[in-house]
Amino acid sequence: MPSETAVACREVVKRFGEIEALRGVSLEIPRGVTFGLLGPNGAGKTTLLRVCLGLTGPTSGSAVVLGEKIPPRSVVPKIGYMPQDLAVYLDMTVGENLALFGRLVGMEEDAIESRTADVLELVELAGRRDSLASTLSGGMRRRTSLAMALLHDPDLLLLDEPTVGVDPELRASFWSYFGGLTKRGKTVVITTHYMEEASRCDLVALLHQGRLLARGAPAAIKSRTNAANLDDAFLTLVREAKAA
Amino acid sequence: MNIRRTLAVARKALSQFRHDRRTLGFIVAMPLLMVVVFGYTFGGEVHNVRTLVVNDDAGFMGVTVADRLLENITGDTLSLVSWTGSGSPRDEVAAGRAWAVITFPANFTENLLTGNDTATIGLILDGSSPPIVSAVLGKVRASIEKTFASGGSPGLSLDRDYVYGSEDTRFIDSFAPGVVALAVLMVTTIFSVIMVVREKSGGMLERLFATPLKPVELVFGLALALAVIAFAQSVVVLSAAILLFQIKVAGSIPLAFGVLLLFAIGNQGLGIMLSSAAKNELQAIQFVPLILFPSLLLTGVFFPLEAIPSAFRPFSYVVPLTYASDALHSIMLRGWGIVEIGVDVVVLLVYDVLTLLGAAVFVRRQA
Repeated sequence: MPSETAVACREVVKRFGEIEALRGVSLEIPRGVTFGLLGPNGAGKTTLLRVCLGLTGPTSGSAVVLGEKIPPRSVVPKIGYMPQDLAVYLDMTVGENLALFGRLVGMEEDAIESRTADVLELVELAGRRDSLASTLSGGMRRRTSLAMALLHDPDLLLLDEPTVGVDPELRASFWSYFGGLTKRGKTVVITTHYMEEASRCDLVALLHQGRLLARGAPAAIKSRTNAANLDDAFLTLVREAKAA
Repeated sequence: MNIRRTLAVARKALSQFRHDRRTLGFIVAMPLLMVVVFGYTFGGEVHNVRTLVVNDDAGFMGVTVADRLLENITGDTLSLVSWTGSGSPRDEVAAGRAWAVITFPANFTENLLTGNDTATIGLILDGSSPPIVSAVLGKVRASIEKTFASGGSPGLSLDRDYVYGSEDTRFIDSFAPGVVALAVLMVTTIFSVIMVVREKSGGMLERLFATPLKPVELVFGLALALAVIAFAQSVVVLSAAILLFQIKVAGSIPLAFGVLLLFAIGNQGLGIMLSSAAKNELQAIQFVPLILFPSLLLTGVFFPLEAIPSAFRPFSYVVPLTYASDALHSIMLRGWGIVEIGVDVVVLLVYDVLTLLGAAVFVRRQA
């Protein structure tokens, strides 16, 4: 019986020397939603994703992902991660990059073969499977990176700014794909700066200087702050936090 | 050309160094280390060459010439040790426990003084190292000249018995094995340094560790790939040495490859470990001369270890190339097998295990 919660963080604190990247973040992300993790640069979004992946241990507090405590990282094969950095081998072809990560998460060769065709179709790179990544444009490289995260059809997707440098048309097709994933019970966690993207999420959370300022449905947050849009809502919340 | 823009570039370059303390230290320390180590070690003069003496000279009419000859072997080039063992002193040379044996037969002085027969000084030599052979011969000849300064040396002959190699063994034969190992060292360390830095750049390492991949798997995977490269490289280098320079291989060529492979794996571990301790490419590449220099100068690649001043000798035994070079030298020139080079092989195995485990720990810390 899978837990109804995809991610549950309890009082997560992460310090890097003097810097406190996360200052006691408690956050629940239910299964089957698109969840937007919002906040300015340095808010702690990426650090929170890294804690959920077990890439870095929390200084205190705990993270439970897909019903399993992290670390250990036994749940990792069920997670698809697209880091903010490009993280694509430029001296390998698109297909080779995908195959490598398929093998690392334990996929069978024939599954890799068929899924590669599917995900490249989605990111509109079907014709570039044998192209060296170095010959691709910046946007195509990011799409390759997304395809690498999607390949093994993970239960939880952690996408760190996946739509940077992706044109609006393709961005829209990504969102409809994410919608299809959540209908199948998958969970998609996305960090983003784009507020119009944030409003497409089922739920959002605002991080600011390592603290969680708000969590809820975009509409609810807007009405709570009497704001016309999410941008204004977050500016209000940040101002309140500073005043407190 | 605009001076202001040019100066702006210069200032930028210097300020980048200022923020990188390690590089700053390297700029000062590396040349200093080079000068000191080079200056003290690259003399090529050998010292304390272990030489056994079997002096059976019974003397004649109260004179014992052999004693005089031995007294006239001065300086610290040879370390003369009277052979008192039960077996044959030749076996000591064969086992690599001594470089040479000087023997004086019982009738040495008698023959010399009466001229009844040729007085013969027997020399048993490990010919695998020409610098050592010429040092021994040089010292013995100098002693003869000094002893017979007035009257010459009638009827005195040197009987040379080469346990390994021969009079024809060239200097190049003796350092070829070490140079082969050195070439492998250079490529394997540089490659592994570059490989890890490349993984680190662009967030690759983080992405790899966001999968179930374990650090030890990453390190062994990289080491495996590098081993294939190192093996291909050893084949090229060793074949070139054999074909182009007619380097003779007295022992087993597969065994020589095996030693090179063991050495290469450890170098990769070391390279991975060091480069993962570096923050950027510049810092990473600084480790390469740091490894190469002591390897070049302290390990008996060009000269036997006896040519390295005793103050530096302990460092020689810490540098892995010492063992790889010694093992290859023994295989190629002495025709030794796995049993005889056992100590070297064990040291190299320990080197492999320690560096690969170290590499896994260091790589883990990066992600």
